Amino acid sequence: MSELAPHTIVLLLLWGTVVALDLVSVPQAMLSRPLVVGTVAGWLAGDVESGLRVGAVLELFALDVLPIGAVRYPDYGPATVAAVALAAGAPWELGLGLSVGMALVLAVLGGWSLQAVRRWNALSIQHRAAALAAGESRAIRRLQYAGLLRDAARGALLTGLGLISAWALGRWAVPDRETAVGLTLVAIGAGLSAVAGGAVRSAGRGARLRWLVAGAVAGTLLAVLR
Amino acid sequence: MTGGWRALLRLLAVQGTWNYERMLGVGMGYAAEPLLEDLKTVDPVRHGEAVVRSAEFFNCNPNLAGLALGATARAEYEAVPGAQIVRLRTALCSPLGALGDELFWAGLVPALAGLALAAVVLGAGWWAVLGLLVAYNLVRTGTAVWALHTGFDAGMRVGTAISASWLPRAVARIGPVAGASVGFAIPLVATWYLRGFGWVGAIGSLAVAAVGASVSRWFGPSMTSVRFALLAMGLLLFFRWVGL
Repeated sequence: MSELAPHTIVLLLLWGTVVALDLVSVPQAMLSRPLVVGTVAGWLAGDVESGLRVGAVLELFALDVLPIGAVRYPDYGPATVAAVALAAGAPWELGLGLSVGMALVLAVLGGWSLQAVRRWNALSIQHRAAALAAGESRAIRRLQYAGLLRDAARGALLTGLGLISAWALGRWAVPDRETAVGLTLVAIGAGLSAVAGGAVRSAGRGARLRWLVAGAVAGTLLAVLR
Repeated sequence: MTGGWRALLRLLAVQGTWNYERMLGVGMGYAAEPLLEDLKTVDPVRHGEAVVRSAEFFNCNPNLAGLALGATARAEYEAVPGAQIVRLRTALCSPLGALGDELFWAGLVPALAGLALAAVVLGAGWWAVLGLLVAYNLVRTGTAVWALHTGFDAGMRVGTAISASWLPRAVARIGPVAGASVGFAIPLVATWYLRGFGWVGAIGSLAVAAVGASVSRWFGPSMTSVRFALLAMGLLLFFRWVGL
């Protein structure tokens, strides 16, 4: 991890909060996709290449997730911000594995924190049940703003924890070159396995599977010819 | 429709109070407030009842919530019995959830993410990310405007309006596009990363991918891709630690 200026850390913290809010609460504009988060975080940290590389691997993991109904899923937004902060300034071949590993742990923590916020929201609604039953619009507005604040606080805490973890790992847990490259290769392989598994599962046995295979053949041809 | 634009803006935060009891309910009540404002002067008692109903349990894909919001608001103005409005809300949950999840989460998002990944590999950089955001938000905003207006125009006949609309056809078409897009991106992304590591590194990484796919299939949902990745990294660190 390169030394980040204080204002960069503040900007990363803000960006992490925004993307955490974007995942579920507001505005769900796909700002929280790891590819988007990573690119912007890389730009903020002064290393767009690392941001794109880290964001793209985590996007492979995110493509395995269907955020349907009440299911618990990892929150990759703040995790990607922290991962880019850790990887920035080093050759991506060496920094990617460790940063992706840290991001996956943070993303799981993010999923749990999302559940905690949802339970907290439910408790808050129970406390205002009488006002809701009386049709008080003000109670609805207050519940809504409180829910958004809780999610923003969750995002800020998660990003803060991620940035501290990135700083600690960058200072005390830098692996030797061979281990770093090994971790990077494992991260890429696991990401490819995630996206391929998710794509096959979503495809089922119908037309989508045939198009998936056709796309893979076209992509392979282009990759070979390039 | 009074308050339409404010309701649309508030729909952006429809999941702001998501919880395991009312799910989107309170968010729907928050978005309904501007639409129900005129009812306050026309029939204050009915307005109070409508506000209560608007914040009760509801769940669907957030991008299609406008259909239910518009339809129920119209029904409140037409003085449809409250029990019927509650039944309409309940009946809309599953179809709007299924259609929206198929269209957005299983269709548009992977289609655009796959294209963006391929474009990044092919050298588009920033522009690929910007393209993903612009394309998604154009479709999503257009859908939200259409949904609220269609719901409000159709009222209790919103089910017929949905079946006659572009929505079911779009859901059928987006799946193959998403499949092709993600399939196209996978080999390009793999070569983008692995080209610099030589044959041994590339084969090792692809072996990890193959083991991951097999293990996930064998163990099912108990071995998620994240768990597999962390397990594989942990094993690597252990083997390096013991000197292998």
